[in-house]
Amino acid sequence: MEELIEKLKQQIIEVLNLEEVTPADIDNDAPLFGEGLGLDSIDALELIVMMEKEYGIKLKNPAEGKEIFKSINVMAQYISEHRTK
Amino acid sequence: MGIVSAIGFDVEETLQSLRAGKTGIDALRYLQTDHHEFPVGEVQMSTDEMAKRLGIPDGTPRTRTAMMGIMALGQALQQANLHKDDMAKAAFVSGTTVGGMDMSEQFYMDFLTNDLHNDYISQHDCGACTESIADYFGPFASVSTLSTACSSAANAIINGANAIREGSCEIAVVGGSECITKFHLNGFNSLMILDHEQCRPFDETRAGLNLGEGAAFLVIETADSARRRGVTPIAVLEGYGNACDAFHQTASSPDGEGSYRAMREALADAGLQPQDIDYINAHGTGTPNNDTSESQAMMRLFGETIPPVSSTKSFTGHTTSASGSIEAVICILALQHQFLPLNLGWKHQMPDGITPVTDQHPVRPLQHVLCNSFGFGGNDSSLVIGKEPSKALLPLGEGREGAAGEGAFILAATQISIQEGLSEAWMQSPIQYDEPYVRSLDVDYKQWLSVGESRRMGKLLKRALVTSLAAMRQSGVEHPDAIITGTGLGCIENTEILLTHLCEEGEENCKPTPFMQSTHNTISSLVSIHTHTHGYNATYAHKEASFDCALEDAWRQMKLGRIHTALVGGQDEMTPKYFGLLCKTGYLGQPSQIAGEAAVSVMLSAKPRNELDNVLCRMTYFKRLYRPTPEELQQTAAAIGCFDAVVTSVSQLSTFNSQLSTLQEAATLFPDTPLLQYKNIFGESYTAYGLGIYATAHVLHCQQLPPAMLIPGFVTPAALHRILVLNQIGGKDYTFTVLES
Repeated sequence: MEELIEKLKQQIIEVLNLEEVTPADIDNDAPLFGEGLGLDSIDALELIVMMEKEYGIKLKNPAEGKEIFKSINVMAQYISEHRTK
Repeated sequence: MGIVSAIGFDVEETLQSLRAGKTGIDALRYLQTDHHEFPVGEVQMSTDEMAKRLGIPDGTPRTRTAMMGIMALGQALQQANLHKDDMAKAAFVSGTTVGGMDMSEQFYMDFLTNDLHNDYISQHDCGACTESIADYFGPFASVSTLSTACSSAANAIINGANAIREGSCEIAVVGGSECITKFHLNGFNSLMILDHEQCRPFDETRAGLNLGEGAAFLVIETADSARRRGVTPIAVLEGYGNACDAFHQTASSPDGEGSYRAMREALADAGLQPQDIDYINAHGTGTPNNDTSESQAMMRLFGETIPPVSSTKSFTGHTTSASGSIEAVICILALQHQFLPLNLGWKHQMPDGITPVTDQHPVRPLQHVLCNSFGFGGNDSSLVIGKEPSKALLPLGEGREGAAGEGAFILAATQISIQEGLSEAWMQSPIQYDEPYVRSLDVDYKQWLSVGESRRMGKLLKRALVTSLAAMRQSGVEHPDAIITGTGLGCIENTEILLTHLCEEGEENCKPTPFMQSTHNTISSLVSIHTHTHGYNATYAHKEASFDCALEDAWRQMKLGRIHTALVGGQDEMTPKYFGLLCKTGYLGQPSQIAGEAAVSVMLSAKPRNELDNVLCRMTYFKRLYRPTPEELQQTAAAIGCFDAVVTSVSQLSTFNSQLSTLQEAATLFPDTPLLQYKNIFGESYTAYGLGIYATAHVLHCQQLPPAMLIPGFVTPAALHRILVLNQIGGKDYTFTVLES
């Protein structure tokens, strides 16, 4: 799980072009949206594309993202349970 | 009026479908795509069949958007009995976002690697599409292209109406056209706003929109002109409003601020009260976000008694850039035949929304209807259309408070280009280039934008935003009444990313950001969002005349007293790939020509607000002509009167080139007048004319002529008080702007 969390942080930084953020800056339990990293709805869509491309997880409804992107820990948990690649 | 959509090839078929409650949304049939899971509203004819029907010979470049436009325009011209000599005096204004994308997405790899389909490269952009539609029938006096995403056609109607009110013309032919493309379908899919079922606007279970396609055009004219031509008006454009939500690039605000303002302004323009409206044709896309936001805006404006509302996108699908004129035609049909168009698919009441029409029979006669069109970036527009020809548009213009009778003042002009950005260092020591293609010299954007703010912005968005912020700062105008942008290609880098993805990786995993930023109005709306400016917002994408269209809009609305301050931008970038393509068309890559990039922002004010205002110069004359006759050119030259110099649009001065005729023509039109240049300093680009205006404004302000602007063989101006900035490309699209110290 630790490995997945680290990889996820790097992928998020890359996909969302978070130039001045390092993996260490991202708190595993902090919310990704609103406070925390301050991401918005377009970032959520970018993360949905990333999950499909990297982990073979297909979301039908963007609202599902709200629960999954609560924090890095929640996201990693969801990916480890649902990944198809 | 003329219309082509999924529910019919003409007005009569459209009416029959509406009365019968018969939707045009069905399984995909014509578009070649993997996404067969999405229902769409396709025009039931293949592109080849369209070409056959229009008599366009094989081998002639033709795009679906242009051909649907031609079909709709033909009907409108016929019904209005508009002949060639009428057209020659009329303005033609069309809206589109994808332009010739249906062919570009098929041939993009060929464009890059071989010469099989080079004819289609110059058909790609929005302006080319408008010209194809216009030129099928004959020359119009002026031709312009609006590109404000899904409100493009509504804004084309507003542009045409303003042209008539201001007195530029008595007749305007206005509307829009858009076909379904893989580009659009995958783009909307990446935003996850496409419904897998038939769309259900304003229904609690709604899950997105269905893409549609089509075109519609309307002929609007003054009552006097109609009387003289012996034609009877079928409806009246009573008022209109345009406002920016200034909230988000793709989502509407929860309280519908932009749509509320657009509707309120339209009612005020028409001199009507909310209770006077008998029907609202909502934007009603069927996305959870739009329908909640629009409902809130309607509740705010109309209170307890909301008029009957429906979204006819349940019939046509979302025809995007064409929806404004398609739905205006539907509103006129409702007025003519006194029925309420249905809102198909509605079953479940939204807790926070309106209840749409379920019965075609109106409770009271329809006199005035409201037609909403909203676009990405919060480009919200609303039209009021009435039944009684006696109640035409309220007079505007001279005498109205604040109207710019004697011209407009340029308070600031800024640029980021191939010369040092946000600086006038080029006047003393311009950087000289030998390369055929140079990219802009970027400035330190971090001084203006935080890393968080700029992380999703491409280079062009940063340049556009920073030149805008600098012009706002220099002029002291924080919230201009209008933000109007011209861009020939928009953020072409993002368009290329999505096109390349579609060609190389297919239709899986398309990212939302490139699509969002590929829409041309993303630039203008970004400036509004960043500065929280809710006023008029529009984007023009009309090749080399893109900036010219934006400047014309600002100039006209200032003369009408509709706005007092305007930020006018000219924003284009040039990627290495696209430079290669435009070399194939002959536009770029000519001997001694430099292809550049332009980001320019000009702040205009109808009057200096106080003595402290730092005025660069005054703008005292403006005119655009599409394909003028020599006589028309002479007349325009005579009307301008005396001036000290002409700043020309020549971009190369080698002995044998097509542009030599440009200089000869200018020399003939304005004998004994010094001719100047600026593209040798700033390079050629679709919005280079903005840099011509920028450069001339600073020359007048400093009373100093940089030697680089002189053209060898022509005399040096004796004075710098009144200068004509002339744009002309390939013998068409003339723009005359006079600036005075």
